[in-house]
Amino acid sequence: MLKSKTFVKKTRSGGVLKIVREHYLRDDIWCGSEVCTECKDDSPVLQRDAFIQSRLCTYPHYLIPDTNVVLHQIDILEDPVMRNVVILQTVLQEVRHRSAPVYKRIKDAIHEKEKHFYTFTNEHHRETFVEREQGESANDRNDRAIRVAALWYNQHLRKAPCAGELRVVLLTNDQANKEKATEDGLLAYRCEEYIKSLIGNPELVDRLALTSNEQNEITGGRVLFPEHLPLSRIQTGIKNGTFLQGTFRANRDNYLEATVFVHGEGEDGTEVLLQGLQNLNRAVHQDIVAVELFPRERWAAPSAAVLEDDHANDEDAEEEEAEKLESPALETSMLKPTGRVVGIIKRNWRPFCGMLTQSQIKEATRHLFTPADRHIPRIRIETRQASALVGHRIIVAIDGWPRNSRYPNGHFVRNLGGAGDKETETEVLLLEHDVPHQPFSKAVLSFLPRMPWAITEEDLKVRADLRHLCVCSVDPPGCTDIDDALHCRELDNGNLEVGVHIADVSHFIRPGNALDQEAANRGTTVYLCGKRIDMVPELLSSDLCSLRSNVDRLAFSCVWEMNRNAEIIRTHFTKSVINSKASLTYAEAQMRIDDATMNDDITNSLRGLNALAKILKGRRIEKGALTLSSPEVRFHMDSETHDPIDLQTKELKDTNSMVEEFMLLANISVAQKIYEEFSECALLRKHPAPPLSNYDILVKAAKSRDLEIHTDSAKALADSLNAAVLGGFPYFNTLLRILATRCMMQAIYFCSGMDSDFRHYGLASPIYTHFTSPIRRYSDIIVHRLLAVAINADGTYPDLMDKHKQSTLCNNLNYRHKMAQYAQRASVAFHTQLFFKNKGILNEEGFILFVRKNAIIILIAKFGLEGTVFFKNKGKPGPKLSFDSEGPSLTVEDQHTFHMFDKVKVTVTLDASNIQHQKIRMALVEPVIAGVSVAWPEPAAKKPKLDR
Amino acid sequence: MASVQISEAEKVYIMHGVRDDLRVDGRGCEDYRHMEIETDVVSNTDGSAKVRMGHTDVLVGIKAELRRPRPNVPDEGYLEFFVDCSANATPEFEGRGGEELGVELSNTLYKVFNSHRSLDLRSLCVCPGEHCWVLYVDVLLLQCDGNLFDAMSIAIKAALFNTRIPKVRVLEDEEGGKEIELSDDPYDCLRLRVDNIPCIVTLCKVGHRHVVDATLQEKACSAASLLVAVTPRGAVTCVRKLGAGSLDPDSIFEMTETGKRVGKALHAPLMELLQKDESLGKKRQKVGFLA
Amino acid sequence: MAGLELLSDQGYRLDGRKASELRKVQARMGVFGQADGSAYMEQGNTKALAVVYGPHEVRGSRSKSLHDRAVINCQYSMATFSTAERKRRPHGDRKSSEMSLHLKQTFEAAVLTQLYPRSQIDIYVKILQSDGGNYSACVNAATLALVDAGIPMRDYVCACTAGFAEGTALADLCHAEETGGGTALSLALLPRSQSIALVQMDARLHQDHLDTLMEAAMEACKGLSKVLDSVVRQHLQEVSVLSRD
Repeated sequence: MLKSKTFVKKTRSGGVLKIVREHYLRDDIWCGSEVCTECKDDSPVLQRDAFIQSRLCTYPHYLIPDTNVVLHQIDILEDPVMRNVVILQTVLQEVRHRSAPVYKRIKDAIHEKEKHFYTFTNEHHRETFVEREQGESANDRNDRAIRVAALWYNQHLRKAPCAGELRVVLLTNDQANKEKATEDGLLAYRCEEYIKSLIGNPELVDRLALTSNEQNEITGGRVLFPEHLPLSRIQTGIKNGTFLQGTFRANRDNYLEATVFVHGEGEDGTEVLLQGLQNLNRAVHQDIVAVELFPRERWAAPSAAVLEDDHANDEDAEEEEAEKLESPALETSMLKPTGRVVGIIKRNWRPFCGMLTQSQIKEATRHLFTPADRHIPRIRIETRQASALVGHRIIVAIDGWPRNSRYPNGHFVRNLGGAGDKETETEVLLLEHDVPHQPFSKAVLSFLPRMPWAITEEDLKVRADLRHLCVCSVDPPGCTDIDDALHCRELDNGNLEVGVHIADVSHFIRPGNALDQEAANRGTTVYLCGKRIDMVPELLSSDLCSLRSNVDRLAFSCVWEMNRNAEIIRTHFTKSVINSKASLTYAEAQMRIDDATMNDDITNSLRGLNALAKILKGRRIEKGALTLSSPEVRFHMDSETHDPIDLQTKELKDTNSMVEEFMLLANISVAQKIYEEFSECALLRKHPAPPLSNYDILVKAAKSRDLEIHTDSAKALADSLNAAVLGGFPYFNTLLRILATRCMMQAIYFCSGMDSDFRHYGLASPIYTHFTSPIRRYSDIIVHRLLAVAINADGTYPDLMDKHKQSTLCNNLNYRHKMAQYAQRASVAFHTQLFFKNKGILNEEGFILFVRKNAIIILIAKFGLEGTVFFKNKGKPGPKLSFDSEGPSLTVEDQHTFHMFDKVKVTVTLDASNIQHQKIRMALVEPVIAGVSVAWPEPAAKKPKLDR
Repeated sequence: MASVQISEAEKVYIMHGVRDDLRVDGRGCEDYRHMEIETDVVSNTDGSAKVRMGHTDVLVGIKAELRRPRPNVPDEGYLEFFVDCSANATPEFEGRGGEELGVELSNTLYKVFNSHRSLDLRSLCVCPGEHCWVLYVDVLLLQCDGNLFDAMSIAIKAALFNTRIPKVRVLEDEEGGKEIELSDDPYDCLRLRVDNIPCIVTLCKVGHRHVVDATLQEKACSAASLLVAVTPRGAVTCVRKLGAGSLDPDSIFEMTETGKRVGKALHAPLMELLQKDESLGKKRQKVGFLA
Repeated sequence: MAGLELLSDQGYRLDGRKASELRKVQARMGVFGQADGSAYMEQGNTKALAVVYGPHEVRGSRSKSLHDRAVINCQYSMATFSTAERKRRPHGDRKSSEMSLHLKQTFEAAVLTQLYPRSQIDIYVKILQSDGGNYSACVNAATLALVDAGIPMRDYVCACTAGFAEGTALADLCHAEETGGGTALSLALLPRSQSIALVQMDARLHQDHLDTLMEAAMEACKGLSKVLDSVVRQHLQEVSVLSRD
């Protein structure tokens, strides 16, 4: 029963409370080695043949890394070469306290069977537990605990009859610890030492993190930065108001400037301006920092200059820094609270994608790395394969930023491939947007249904058989993951029966298994140009769940009885079996509806749906739903090279909105039902109303054309948007709607038990959720499960009913959705660049979308492409500009005044001068302003296909 | 107060015995009963002690908390006493039954112990006017068999001896803001000097004589008793008459003298015991209630 | 600091126990001479004293007395120094009153009260040090005190808590585990008949988990009953040796 033999008490003072906890020591903790005969371990993790070829250790050995080695050299430990490692509990606990991401990574490594990582619970082992001694610091105690455990392993393994030469090797970078270990008769090496001794894997050396010992060698003793204050001082300072805590946001365009966003009470926060490397003091984008405000007389105004940190050589650029900082603006109104970073509260470093700038010295092993994200400073890394890495996209992790180094130090992690390659670039944007895109693991795939799969008798017994209904699906062309299908038929009483049938994904994905966890983590399918990163394996997304025509498929159906006025008389939810009669595209469906000669069941069904949808839409708009617009483009891909050959803006047909209308209706009906049933844990989606100030630009813009936009309610906004039409300028309304879209807030998922405001502003619905796309959104799977419980079609499980767990899930889903959107945009941008790469210089007509102080932003409707025309260039004296923020308008050289929505002509080219940041450049052609606009280029010999 | 009822004959027997310096349990008039003292019995207190004297059982726990010093003595910490007369001792104490006695006992203890003469209260001050240590001395009465005060005072002294207050530092920043920082080292702690802490000797007037450490039966024969607090050097810090009867000045003088003598003799073996216990360190077997 | 990891991947809890293991249990009967029955109980760092008086005449108003059985009177209190943060008063607060009531209900189910009509049995329990599972320590101590007092019972009453972490049921929670999130269930069991004298759970728990949790708590109670039984037997042996002399 009780296996504990002795116990020691551990006291720990938190505040002034004396907390006493028991600490049991055990005799039944095994060493985990195959050679051991003493321990009764059923499945030992550590191999008998633990052989990594090393010049230092020519015998089989197990590695025991100390805490700092795990924390800093996790990239090395993750390498498949590193096997048979003992992770002590002491180390694991320390890592857990100090870095959550590393903790997760080391745990993943431990779980991986092939790595043979073993966790030894030394703190509870009777022979390896050590008590803190008088005058010993907590760190020293832990170091001692690690040594004692290593020593125990050595002695323990020696007892094994066939251990042979098996030894344990302690990896530590702490000189004192190493010495003590050697005194104790242990084999101890510094991590660098050991890695460099590996015979088979010289490339690992590059991935070593630079640790403090080596930094000193790199840049002499010169201290460039002020010291960071210890955390205790920072906390005291924050408490008494001398320091402010905030998120550090580097300026993309000026590496000497940043702001710190200080979270204030409630909504408002303040921004503190930081200027100069000394004051930025080694903070990196997204770090949580403590800042100290300067007295008012030292406040400065943000400089408008664009400064790129582009020194060819890395050493000591700081003498020039001073002059680069512009003299402070004299207008006091421009001055902003200014300060300096005094300490870092939390680093938010992640691995960064980017490219190597090779050192000019040929044999140098230290090079600068330029991250793709321009918020991030350049990073110094050490590598011997620089020449191989030039021109490639690589990943680098930051290890630290000592006071005497101009740049942070980092190490090489991975090579992604040649820059500009479609694959590499896609990989980069997936990584930069944290989109999980690895192939599904074996564990995940093991939960897929066995093929051949067929609907069983049992399935039929518990499901409504709707195979006789004339169901069809309408989707964009080329869609393989069909989530939804519809039907409509007349009932005997003259009413209409409308059904929305959604793929029954939750039938295949059972709660809690690896497949479910993976889907929950991915959160959403990500659609990039020419590539789709599935949330669920393809077998489900494109086959078993996809509601393709003429096969029996499981569905979750929402069926309404409606009268001809589209008023719902009855709502019914059921799990069902359907057999779609046709998979149509929007265009095909539209053709059927429009073609009076067609009179088959499908067409009639479509017509019925279309008629109802129009009524529903009318009613929705009546209530104040917004119709917004964003310029969406599609690429026509070359079927073989997958290069974009043409692009076109998405065209909206009646049938698009028909499908949309019923999806909305289904979502709302389901939202009501699950909220009714589970008021505490319904997963819903809300769209908060934007603060009125968001609309300023929209109101101003309309005013410049003598139109008024009312923003006091969604309905007023919708109405005034509808009324805002200019004769002879059909695109004007769309432009306004594009602007309105930019004023909106993000819609988010939330758990009903954690929030009180449910409204969906854009759809003008008091409650809303996502039910209709379970193949590509995880939220819908949860909603399916909730609904299934509500109609007694399935059982609950604990996490489904736990509002805190669900809230955590919602946060992840919101994050994934946001990142997926960004990734999508980045992908479109990249493909747009690819497209223009081959086009040479184009002349296009566009509209001014925004007017800025020194630039105008132009939208080319045809491509849905936005670009900026700058009137000031780096280093050159610009033309005379005068900006009127009320208009808003910009007058250039007193010759021409630009207003919003003005039509202009521009040239469009791809600027590939910076391979990492290729961009579309626009230059003004018309109106002609001397010295500003450019001449029409020579008409291209080959007319672009596009002009057809 | 917990009491027993005894017959006249018993009373006479007891009183005659006392007259002859031979008490019912065989002790002389100035003898204490067998005493068991153990310190550090409750691990989540800063100091604790358990004393058993015959069937009288007392458990003392001391917890130190950081508070604001009292305005009239901004550079001193202070002690708070609470005596819990629990129903475990006798059913009479159930509910609020023990409250009155508890208040009486704790007030007396406060008067005896909370003085800078018995304890260096200044050492309890962390930051004058802002933070000081308050020692909450909680006495738990588990069994009453007379002579509560003596048992309590010994237990309190032992518990104070055992008390270890975590070391704190006051950090001051440029602005004058103060922050308390706890020492990271669990061995780094403040001990109290218990040299001057008095012990209480209660003398019970039985017939013409007085006895030390009276049992409940003896107490029933007595009309009044005298409480004398004596420091190790023999100084009397507090004298108090207890009980319903009256005492003539001569016997008060006599009883005080006895108190001084007995009290002084009590301290030495107590300190010796405590120090011996301490020197055993972690090797000491903790017994508590298990034996 | 990150939250506590209640159960490590290797299956060890904060204090080094495995999921189903109890804390170290130590107990002694007859700690006090004056009371009719007394016992001291340690479950890890939770320490409780129980004292039994009676059966005796009903104290106070006679109206409380029952003509067909004995009245069980319980008082639960905690030493002011028993918790990490000092308590201001030992009893009389809502929680102790509730605890007293629970104890009363538990022992009414176990003591053969019908043997003592119109009388009263007092059970007083005191927590000396609190580290989770106060209720169970009290019940176990009171059982031993009742045995010491020679009051007939149907069976030992054994109580234990169980909680839930990472989908595994944990037996006999310590304070850190009780407050570290998740649900705690207290259960008092009459092991021989396997009937439950009291069960209490305050937090939410999904129905699917209830069975495992109850199962774990019952297993723990059975484990405890073995310990209690051996304590009683050992005590009897000691007493009989003494009385033979």
